Amino acid sequence: MTEVSIEKLTKDYGQGPAVNSISIRIAEGEFISLLGPSGCGKTTTLKMIAGFEDATEGAIRFDGRDVVHVPVEKRDIGMVFQNYALFPHMTVEKNLAFGLEMRKLPKDEIRTRIAKVLDMVQLTGYSERYPRQLSGGQQQRVALARALVIEPKILLLDEPLANLDAKLREEMRVFIRDLQRRVGITTVYVTHDQAEAMTMSDRVVVMFGGRIAQIGTPSDIYERPANLEVAEFVGQVNIIRGKVGNRVVSTAFGDVPVSGDFADGAELMLALRPEAVELLPINSGATGAPAKVLSSYYSGSLVDYRLELATGAVVNVQTFPRTRFADGDQVLVHAPSDRFWPLGIVA
Amino acid sequence: MIVPPRKRFGPLLLIAPAAILLGVFLVLPYLNIVVMSFRMPGQGTPYGPGFTLGNYGKFFSDFFYVQQVINTLWIGFLTTFICLVLGYPVAWQLARGASTFRALGYALVLSPLLVGIVIRSYGWTILLGNNGIINRTLTGWGLIDGPLPLMYNALGIIIALVHVFLPFMILPIMSAIQGIDPSLEAAARSLGASKVTSFRRITLPLSLPGIQAGCILVFVLSLSAYVTPSLIGGLRVKTMAVTVVDALIDTFQWPFGSALALMLSVTGAIFVVIFGRLTVMKWKA
Repeated sequence: MTEVSIEKLTKDYGQGPAVNSISIRIAEGEFISLLGPSGCGKTTTLKMIAGFEDATEGAIRFDGRDVVHVPVEKRDIGMVFQNYALFPHMTVEKNLAFGLEMRKLPKDEIRTRIAKVLDMVQLTGYSERYPRQLSGGQQQRVALARALVIEPKILLLDEPLANLDAKLREEMRVFIRDLQRRVGITTVYVTHDQAEAMTMSDRVVVMFGGRIAQIGTPSDIYERPANLEVAEFVGQVNIIRGKVGNRVVSTAFGDVPVSGDFADGAELMLALRPEAVELLPINSGATGAPAKVLSSYYSGSLVDYRLELATGAVVNVQTFPRTRFADGDQVLVHAPSDRFWPLGIVA
Repeated sequence: MIVPPRKRFGPLLLIAPAAILLGVFLVLPYLNIVVMSFRMPGQGTPYGPGFTLGNYGKFFSDFFYVQQVINTLWIGFLTTFICLVLGYPVAWQLARGASTFRALGYALVLSPLLVGIVIRSYGWTILLGNNGIINRTLTGWGLIDGPLPLMYNALGIIIALVHVFLPFMILPIMSAIQGIDPSLEAAARSLGASKVTSFRRITLPLSLPGIQAGCILVFVLSLSAYVTPSLIGGLRVKTMAVTVVDALIDTFQWPFGSALALMLSVTGAIFVVIFGRLTVMKWKA
């Protein structure tokens, strides 16, 4: 098991930094996701950890040893590529044997390890197949097995589920996560899919424009986003504005106490997740903001409403479909004050 | 699967123009050559009455002709091999190298094809001749005493053939390498292979379809080359193609010339088939 420490890592292709002085400490056996939109530097960061890109500045340490000048083949990494990158001219067995042959392991050890890893990815009996004879999900599992069979220091995954269909993608999330826990390998996972990052990771690194916007557990990222960008990138969010007075922000939903150090009179942005509120009939007598239903979208387990507050502001609300409201209905929006999260002062 | 009858003829219709063209202008004349090769030699006519195996008998009984086939094949092998060795790095560079000089690279690779075959061959005689630029320069520098025999031998023919057929080797290999996902090489590196090992175990075997196509093209073209061997080989070294034309045009022996032409085709085809068998790729669908 390996601890990975990235210190002030920078990559500049000559048009300004693609990765700008980022630092991450990854604990032994931790599953970390690099999450962000395309061009945010997450893939470049992964390539620098793998050794495919040289770092312009900074250090990458595996268990304290700087590997910046170590070539890819000497870094002892296992990597899974977006398109799997299975060798098409080799059978599954030969694909799996490749890394072991590079390590000059004896033949019978190679055989035992391949049998073990095939069992682990539930592909026993497929060793003589060529990659083109496998389904997308099976190819994905071979790619995973090929990266793991060499027992690398760290496992790097570059958007490995992007080419799978939705159902398989969800299965593979669980599969990869379980496997990673069992093997206990330090893992860096690159994705632009926030649901993937949230469900699989111990911690998520959110990146924008080559910088880290926030590092935290999935619930940190979702419930306590560092700024507006993070809040909007991870899931849906309503931005509620209000003036601070006496450590309280007054909003359409009532007064919300804030703990931060905000001056009186400042206008504050508060994040309110669509599922954090309750929708009640207008005459229920509860506290809340009256609103009109503009539209609703039913998706089986949930209903998404677009509501217009008396102030004219539009909020999105997500509820269970137990009580349905029709378009044009007057409703009461109840938002508990502890579900608001301050994002900062309106610039 | 049941195919609706209307659709079954679709593909046939699409290939019909090409098939008709090849049928009328290649297959029929070829059949004519086959028939011709069994005709009796004529006296003042292209062929005489009746049929005979004598043309083939003449071929096999005179070692001169067998030797010529062997020479021609040998020139073909060497030209192919040299094209492969010289062409592969160029193909790799064009496929994987920096894009800055790619257009220039293409132009340079294709340039031999842009010059007419006769002009190009005469160009080589100016360079390779006993009194040619190369020999005069080397003599002038005092590096050699007399002219090196660069022309009127197999060496000169091979040099000139390599020059003109190199693009036919480079282009298929380049396109094969371009078709290889670069992440395969990255995957090999991540598994512990050095750049050299990754090339040997991944890139090279995956570019085999291009090597195969390029080798067959160059080999077949070398066997059938006429203008270059006849201009550079002169009267001393003759390839089969030259001898066939001699037989047909100079001595007017149409039946024997046809037999010679067919022997060249058949031996060439045998080697292409053997080569194809040796380089069969099990991993391809």
